[in-house]
Amino acid sequence: MKIDFSGLESTAPLCGANSEMFDGISTSPSFQIPDTTDFDDFQKEAIQMVKPAKGTTTLAFIFKEGVMVAADSRASMGGYISSQSVKKIIEINPYMLGTMAGGAADCQFWHRNLGIKCRLHELANKRRISVTGASKLLANILYSYRGMGLSVGTMIAGWDEKGPGLYYVDSEGGRLKGTKFSVGSGSPYAYGILDSGYRYDMTVEEAAELARRSIYHATFRDGASGGVASVYYVGPTGWKKLSGDDVGELHYMYNPVEPTVVEQEMSEA
Amino acid sequence: MGDSQYSFSLTTFSPSGKLVQIEHALTAVGSGQTSLGIKGKINLVALCHQCCYCYIEVVGMLVANIELLMIPSYVRSVIAAANGVVIATEKKLPSILVDETSVQKIQILTPNIGVVYSGMGPDSRVLVRKSRKQAEQYQRLYKEPIPVTQLVRETATVMQEFTQSGGVRPFGVSLLVAGYDDKGPQLYQVDPSGSYFSWKASAMGKNVSNAKAFLEKRYTDDMELDDAVHTAILTLKEGVLTPAEIEDYLQEVE
Amino acid sequence: MSIFEYNGSALVAMVGKNCFAIASDRRLGVQLQTVATDFQRIFKIHDKLFVGLSGLATDAQTLYQRLVFRHKLYQLREERDMKPETFASLVSAILYEKRFGPYFCQPVIAGLGDEDKPFICTMDSIGAKELAKDFVVAGTASESLYGACESMFKPDMEPEELFETISQALLSSVDRDCLSGWGGHVYVVTPTEVTERILKGRMD
Repeated sequence: MKIDFSGLESTAPLCGANSEMFDGISTSPSFQIPDTTDFDDFQKEAIQMVKPAKGTTTLAFIFKEGVMVAADSRASMGGYISSQSVKKIIEINPYMLGTMAGGAADCQFWHRNLGIKCRLHELANKRRISVTGASKLLANILYSYRGMGLSVGTMIAGWDEKGPGLYYVDSEGGRLKGTKFSVGSGSPYAYGILDSGYRYDMTVEEAAELARRSIYHATFRDGASGGVASVYYVGPTGWKKLSGDDVGELHYMYNPVEPTVVEQEMSEA
Repeated sequence: MGDSQYSFSLTTFSPSGKLVQIEHALTAVGSGQTSLGIKGKINLVALCHQCCYCYIEVVGMLVANIELLMIPSYVRSVIAAANGVVIATEKKLPSILVDETSVQKIQILTPNIGVVYSGMGPDSRVLVRKSRKQAEQYQRLYKEPIPVTQLVRETATVMQEFTQSGGVRPFGVSLLVAGYDDKGPQLYQVDPSGSYFSWKASAMGKNVSNAKAFLEKRYTDDMELDDAVHTAILTLKEGVLTPAEIEDYLQEVE
Repeated sequence: MSIFEYNGSALVAMVGKNCFAIASDRRLGVQLQTVATDFQRIFKIHDKLFVGLSGLATDAQTLYQRLVFRHKLYQLREERDMKPETFASLVSAILYEKRFGPYFCQPVIAGLGDEDKPFICTMDSIGAKELAKDFVVAGTASESLYGACESMFKPDMEPEELFETISQALLSSVDRDCLSGWGGHVYVVTPTEVTERILKGRMD
């Protein structure tokens, strides 16, 4: 049994769409559906099996100079830290970034898929896709799989003809336009810093520091966030990685420790 | 009898500040068969606190009509000497028709603690049962044998409770608790009031004063366990044997 | 999520030459949320006896209070400190008392016994003792701690090396656990001295 989503295809099929050569890239992906009587139960089990990268902190905000995007780099499975060096900011094309929260595989796969679609759009229309359009492509796909266990919480940030753009898209089918988002288990902590420190007329440096600090504070409070705080900036000329700091060191940079309190003798028996 | 109005309830003090029931209990003890205990070689205690070879040996009927318990510990030190503690009691049977093997006045509470009583035998069994239970509970909690002092205190607590509770009477016994633990050989006497003392040597029951006087005369701090055994026997035999017979006995054992 | 993992913890004790070390992380969390980074999980019973309580923080504190109470009572009664073996039996008995509604704690006991012989042991939440010659671990980071200790432990270490080893084992282990870390707390105990050190660690 197969579900075909080719109807969702945004670009017109190339001539000979069924030829082997274009299969797999031009068509919308379709997946085998398990042959089971109790699909819900199967799904629950399957979701448990592909659960990593639940804990995350990602954020993005629009300001005067463009969009600032930042994320931590931890991947966890339950309490276990499976990686401290995950790239959670996905480079869709030189003008657009996506962030990753939820299932790692789901995010990676659908962002890459989105990248393909964006490139195809570019080739077909001789101009880059808008952030609005790209986010809608993704949202439509995710919506088509709604209730089937996909776990994606992402922000699509970029610069297009209208200037900076930022959308929040999730696997429940939600798609929101906004100027300030944070996604993941550490997001409440990040919002705390972000909301109190945000100004529209920040410089790129100020904005980068705010983003980094927000990620750092989230990694401090949230057990499932940590590793490296990466900060990307998207401006009129495309995105650029500004920093990638180990939060293990950031903590002691933000909170210098006086050596006297660090060590003390307790008693002599 | 002037005392009678205060002697009915054991928890009522007499005008002179005494609990006469307890005095009566002591009287019961004083008329019981003589028991005594002697600690040997206490000056070696410090040397042997690590000793793990202590064991109890009930030496029954060394001399007719005497029951004796020896708790020795063999010291592994430069001076190879035995030390420990001995308790002994008279075992006069009411009739020669009684099967003497059925009578045991010295009881073992734990592998390293023994007890002897003077006074009412049945009362002592209650205390022995409670003490054994206490020792087991300690062992179960700490996986370690109960120290002598702890067991003595628990036993004394029980005896005290029976001087202050309603509907009970004090125990008609005094106990001599002998044992060996980390602190070396130990000897305690516990009275019906619940008071207890540690002794180098002590006696109770009939002829206490004579027995104590005898012990005071013969006791030395560097007494070996063997000496203690002989002294115990002699003390119990005192009054029965003449001074000349005592000399003979000592001659014989040496 | 298991109730044992509600607050998060990492505990380890190691034996050295005539000494021992016991170490823990400093985090107190509520599931993934870090609430405090100066939490105490290792407690001194007397100069040569320490107990660490991993698991649910509220139960660890309550259990600690009961253990102190029982030890003080023992000290008054018997006019001596408890031997580590004796204390372990006491903890075991107290835990088993609550067999059908246990304290959600896994204790680690470390002490110097007769002739200053090091003693370490751990037990489950209902008091099953597990003695070890080398090291014991407990808490949410126990799997990583086993790995770290297994590869880093050497017998008969001197106090300085023991400190270095237990600290490295702890810090590297908690870096693989979401629920523990945020610094470390190490005690190194020799017959004459107790050294307490706070470790700086990753704060994520």
